[in-house]
Amino acid sequence: MKISVEWLKDYVEIRETPEQLKDDLTMLGLVVESISPFQGEPVLEIEVTSNRPDCLSHVGVARELSALYKRPLKYPPCAEPLAVPVERIPYEIRIKDRDLCPRYTGLVMDGVRIEASPAWLQHRLEAAGMRPLNNIVDITNYVLLELGHPLHAFDFQRLRKGKIVVARARPGQRIITLDGVERELDEDTLLINDGDGPVAIAGVMGGLDSEIKPDTRTILLECAYFNPPSIRRTAKKLGLSTEASYRFERGADWGDTIQAAARTCLLIQQVAGGEIAGSLKDVYPAKIKPVRIGLRRRKAEALLGVTLEDAFVTSTLERLNFKPAPKGKGKWQVTCPSYRADTELEADVIEEIARFYGYQNVPNTLPRYNSQGLASPVFPFENAARRILLGLGYCEAVNLSFAAENEHNQFAPGNGERVALRNPLTEDTQFLRTTLAPGLVKSARRNFNHGIGEVRLFEIGRVYSLDSQGRPLERNTLGIVGSGGFAGCNWRHSQTAYDFFHLKGAVVALLRGMRSEEAEVVPAAGVRWLNPGDAAALIVGGERAGVLGSLHPDLAEEYKLKQPVFLAEIDFEALCRKVFQPVKYEPLPKYPAAERDLSVVLPREVSYGEIRRGILGLGVSQLVSVELLDVYEGESIPAGKVSMTFRFVFLDRRKTLTVDQVQAFSDNILTFLRSSYNAELR
Amino acid sequence: MSDHVILDRIEELRRQFDAELAQAASLDTCAAVRDRWVGRERGIITGEMKRLRELPREDRPAFGQAANELRNYVERELNAALERFGARARELEIARGRVDVTRPGFPYALGVEHPIKRLQAEIEQVFISLGFRVFDLPEIEKEYYNFDALNMPRSHPARDSQDTFYFDETTLLRTHCSTVQIHAMKVMKPPVRAVSTGKVYRRDPADATHSPMFYQVDVLALDEGITMGDLKGTLEVFLKRIFHPDVRMRFRPGFFPFVEPGAEVDISCIFCFGKGCRICKQSGWIEILGAGMVHPKVLRMSGVDDERYTGFAWGMGIDRVALLKYEVDDIRLFFENDLRFLTQF
Ligand SMILES: [Zn+2]
Repeated sequence: MKISVEWLKDYVEIRETPEQLKDDLTMLGLVVESISPFQGEPVLEIEVTSNRPDCLSHVGVARELSALYKRPLKYPPCAEPLAVPVERIPYEIRIKDRDLCPRYTGLVMDGVRIEASPAWLQHRLEAAGMRPLNNIVDITNYVLLELGHPLHAFDFQRLRKGKIVVARARPGQRIITLDGVERELDEDTLLINDGDGPVAIAGVMGGLDSEIKPDTRTILLECAYFNPPSIRRTAKKLGLSTEASYRFERGADWGDTIQAAARTCLLIQQVAGGEIAGSLKDVYPAKIKPVRIGLRRRKAEALLGVTLEDAFVTSTLERLNFKPAPKGKGKWQVTCPSYRADTELEADVIEEIARFYGYQNVPNTLPRYNSQGLASPVFPFENAARRILLGLGYCEAVNLSFAAENEHNQFAPGNGERVALRNPLTEDTQFLRTTLAPGLVKSARRNFNHGIGEVRLFEIGRVYSLDSQGRPLERNTLGIVGSGGFAGCNWRHSQTAYDFFHLKGAVVALLRGMRSEEAEVVPAAGVRWLNPGDAAALIVGGERAGVLGSLHPDLAEEYKLKQPVFLAEIDFEALCRKVFQPVKYEPLPKYPAAERDLSVVLPREVSYGEIRRGILGLGVSQLVSVELLDVYEGESIPAGKVSMTFRFVFLDRRKTLTVDQVQAFSDNILTFLRSSYNAELR
Repeated sequence: MSDHVILDRIEELRRQFDAELAQAASLDTCAAVRDRWVGRERGIITGEMKRLRELPREDRPAFGQAANELRNYVERELNAALERFGARARELEIARGRVDVTRPGFPYALGVEHPIKRLQAEIEQVFISLGFRVFDLPEIEKEYYNFDALNMPRSHPARDSQDTFYFDETTLLRTHCSTVQIHAMKVMKPPVRAVSTGKVYRRDPADATHSPMFYQVDVLALDEGITMGDLKGTLEVFLKRIFHPDVRMRFRPGFFPFVEPGAEVDISCIFCFGKGCRICKQSGWIEILGAGMVHPKVLRMSGVDDERYTGFAWGMGIDRVALLKYEVDDIRLFFENDLRFLTQF
């Protein structure tokens, strides 16, 4: 809202500089965004919150200043249209839907000359950011900017049967509004009709047919109060926000319709030479009672944490036009002004007291903090995972939760269910992501395109799905992406290509750091976005908790990736149920352990996991660890075979193992490998 | 044989030893000299001592004394030489092993926390230390929790400023974390100290200052006797911990449907310290959050006796704090995962 300081001075004495006004109004809750000059005069750009429509005018702002500076408010002069009844031009006002239009005040004037407004009027409109049109329209706009009450002037000659009928639209009814657009209306829309049909959309915009034209001689002035939610609904539905609808939907003054009409009448008499031809009719079928609120000083003190004097309470309220009637010591019944759409409860009145007490003057205190702080249940898990992955060299990523249709189709799980937004913003935000993978792939690609080939990222965030009834669900998920290298590259460490086993190593380190139940990685089928050659499932404590592998070559091509990308996605909620196993201490061994290395040639199709399980299943209780030291294929190894070197560690907790015993264990293992897999010692 | 002859002979040996030792240039040659002179079996000095028995009885004391002196001398000189050469050898060994410590170390990789996530954790820690319980809440919400229960019915103009993503008529992506008020009041009896942080969504097209997804923190304290002064005091502690111990706070009237009285809170500009700069638009203040005393209607809707209990609530954008704290000029950078950006934190 643009407020001209010169204009304000019509209603309240102002000795302050514009900068001082800016600070004072801001501290009252009317934020002055800027002071910009208009033809050398300062204009305040005020951000008025939606609860204070009464401040969407110069008198409204002057009222606040008059209360703050304790200076009288000078209300602008008005005509006295009620003084002499005039029936020269008969007209009629009927309100059919009083719930949407509790009050309608009308006045007919004739003999007006339509011309350009005088310079002073044009200047003020322009200072407040409005374009002058003609004197009648300009005057209604002037009063809107002055008093905050929107008015409308009809060309009376165009009102059939000299009638105004305020009623809900019939479905399918149409009107061409002032902006030349034909609009179809529904029964929630409140219309101003003449004797035959619609002439305006109430509180939003007038009709083209009855607008003020150069040859207009007689006008009907409308000053009404409309039901705010109704105007809001209509303006929203029509996508039409006007100066009038903006004020009516927030709540206009239901008490000043006569004054606003009288003020407009006076200006028309002065500027456009009109005279009253049909005296003011105030049709007010649904009388609005002023809001009365019980106020207790003690309650105000308790809410604010200050001590108040009764005199301060009453004088503050009176300066703001609230009427506190004493109801015992420190108690009042407060009658609120008709323009205060925001006062309904005691707390609302207490806010008025606080505003003028000064929020800054309320002393800062601390409550008794009589409760124990508690982290969120998921925090320890997320924090542990985050610390481990950061330590392993993965940076933390955050992607938007949205997914485009093609991403959904490329990455979605087999059943293709998608979580659609009813009102997406763009094509890219049509759906919510069902997997973290596309976001991480795009993050990797963005870095590749910037010449950063070494990308290791993780993200902990929610993915979305539909339950069996089609309702959206969210699930906390961990994603990891790696590409390029597993660490940096310099003279001490030459470039290593990040591969599946770097990713698996990170996942295993994460599980170890979180003390998970027994975990294994097994081949997996059916993950659409993973390469079937290395697609794997992560099994933790017997339950599938995630997948890992390289991006499917089709997708790598689709996304024009310059290098292989490895991805893991872990159901973080499933993982959380399998981690933080209690620590159980085992006494340190008193006897030394013995190591034996064994190199054997095996058929290529036998997996390490299978061999390991077999060896551990032999029942050698002294075998405490199996490690795969080396894998070799190529020269000196027959085709279809692979050489594996294992390291076994044996330990007996009751005695030192002899060389013969260790040899016997080792032979036992070798015999097993020979008989089960045709292994040959190398 | 006279004393004279004996002593001459000893003197001659000493000269011979000195000459040989002077020739020795390393620890090894020095050890050879030692073996030749004081070796237990064939050492020259040992040999001389053996000759003692062959001498006339009267010559023995003088010779014995001279030979002993020579042996002491030789051993002393040899030890000194050996020590000298030993130290040199260690020095040489060290010199050979000297490294250029200015070369870079092994390139261990270290990940970097996302700036918003780090702030989020920091904020939660402040509240935990103040006795608050952190709630982990759903992003998918019922309209009732996000709006109606917070005194924002559909007809409320304040709904306009929070353009919302809907799944269906009543299910939406939360537009703020203020839902913590309703969730906390549902599961806790006063005293309530609740905080929640996380992603929120608004239908704002992405630009340098808007993102359809961003982060918020929302707070609720509810008890007997909670005042606006308590709100201000708690906020002051919080803002000083998050921004700077010297930061000043400005508290002015503001409007949010779920609080009454409501307040806007500014901090003194952390760039110009209140003098006025581009970032604070020359005002010296930066608007940082919205706060207030919980609206009686919000309490009543959640079944809390609004006569007995009062509370305060506030909400703040975490991204906004990150933008300010690190002078980031584009909010979209937080969600692009550009390592050139992330690794600056
Ligand atoms: Zn500044």
